[in-house]
Amino acid sequence: MLTTFPSVEWFARLGELMEENRVVHEHVGEIDCTCVWTVFDADGEGTDRHFRTTFELYSLTDVQEVSEDDRVKANFILETDVWVWKEMLENIAENGGKPDLEHSLNRMSLPGVPIRLWAEDPLDRDMFFRFNGSLQEFVNESYKIPTQYLVE
Amino acid sequence: MADLTDAIARLDPPPLATHDREDELCAAYEAAFAADRETWINYAAPAVERLERGSFSLEWMNTDGSAWGTQVKPSSRGLTFMDCNRSKAYGTVADSVPDHHRNLTPRGSIRDPYKDQLPVYDDFVVTEKWDLWADNVSTLYEEAKARQWNATKDIAWDELEELPEDLEKAACQLATFLTEIEFLAGDFPAKWMYRIPAEFLEIKAFLATQIMDEARHLEVFRKRALAGGGGLLHVNPMFEWASKALMASPTHTSGAYFLNLIGEGFILSVFRGGEFLARTHVDREIFRRCLQDEARHVAFGTIELKNYLEHHPKPDEAMALMHRYADIAEVLVSTSILQPVVLEPLAVLMGGGLDEIDSGMDGVAFLWDVVKEEYLQRCDRAGLFRRDVCQFGELPWKAAC
Repeated sequence: MLTTFPSVEWFARLGELMEENRVVHEHVGEIDCTCVWTVFDADGEGTDRHFRTTFELYSLTDVQEVSEDDRVKANFILETDVWVWKEMLENIAENGGKPDLEHSLNRMSLPGVPIRLWAEDPLDRDMFFRFNGSLQEFVNESYKIPTQYLVE
Repeated sequence: MADLTDAIARLDPPPLATHDREDELCAAYEAAFAADRETWINYAAPAVERLERGSFSLEWMNTDGSAWGTQVKPSSRGLTFMDCNRSKAYGTVADSVPDHHRNLTPRGSIRDPYKDQLPVYDDFVVTEKWDLWADNVSTLYEEAKARQWNATKDIAWDELEELPEDLEKAACQLATFLTEIEFLAGDFPAKWMYRIPAEFLEIKAFLATQIMDEARHLEVFRKRALAGGGGLLHVNPMFEWASKALMASPTHTSGAYFLNLIGEGFILSVFRGGEFLARTHVDREIFRRCLQDEARHVAFGTIELKNYLEHHPKPDEAMALMHRYADIAEVLVSTSILQPVVLEPLAVLMGGGLDEIDSGMDGVAFLWDVVKEEYLQRCDRAGLFRRDVCQFGELPWKAAC
């Protein structure tokens, strides 16, 4: 059964996989932060969507779709358009759960494009670096989710 | 530049070497012990006499003046420092440490009755909370413990791919420089850890994790240089001068700012850029793991500086002093980075080869801007506004025509 990206269900499924992959996350370390994943033009018709994920210890404890204004309540925001997310997720899947050198979250966000990492507080932004390994492991598990997109 | 380096050299004369002076030093140590002989006897004699009588004191069972009966409760992640510090008796940190607490007596223990018996550790000079505290220190300490890794086993050394010689040389030169840096990043907190009384146990504990982090970093970069069949390459004399100046920082906060905001901030950005520099998955993994550690140190340094500026008894004076330190530190760090042993391997790795060093410099110039902007953001966050006076200039480079 295909799960649509982006959706609360898709991120929640990633959270379930995080639990199944708990041994890896325990090895990498605890993660305590909230992160918003913004998907511009999520449906190919100009709709932007924002998903706030809350992490505690080794778990995803909450996923919510939030409004654009509510995004700033998270520690940091990762935003780009659906095509970039799609390319990243497909690259992770093609490589069996590990992106190539060009498609890690850090690599794609350092120049500010194609992924923009930002926060109002630079210390909140720095949480992306502090928990980088855990976040990458989190999205790496997406290769196990049969995913459909609202764009071709 | 000569004036600057001379000034740095004068800041902290090196201690005398101990070799060839062992006999002299031992004699001085014996004399110091002899001078305290009466004190030692006063403590030892009653205990010996009591044991000889076959009797017990049991004074230690008296709980007067203690917080006996306090039970701290673990949270979902176990029993953290934050959980312990919810207890007022154990979690109240003194604003100023009196002389009789300038030692290793634990906060919350019964220590005041022994006030007249306790020695003062002359080296424990960081006695004011405004001079070292950071409100995020307990969280960062717990995080540091939870995110330790092992450079021996967590890096897939056997998967390190062979690189063309120019790229391997660049990777090894960068690894040599990073190894040199990590020694400094460990030695500085080690130097100051012994100057902090046990009252500030969370700071001491966090510094211990920072020292461990840096030991692991110097280990992983040394191993990286050796594992690819190349080896360590050239040291950076300019960096050694900057490091010497940092180690000579006259106060903890000035040095911690120098190390954690400027130095570690720069390294954090390099490690972030590591995924552009990395030519192998192994290198990428090394950089990613290191950047997580550095980000903790930067977070600690930023909040420590904020605490200093907000709680110093003479805030205007504190602000003026930090700007004076920053005027020196920014020059030293930026000139250290400009050295060929740093910039050129970065450019070769960024560009993808020696033939692409010019285009690689574009990437380095970008990284330079990232370093500067992120540093200024953290200064803003701490309340040290450097944007109009920052000594980091533009990267003085343009491609050869």
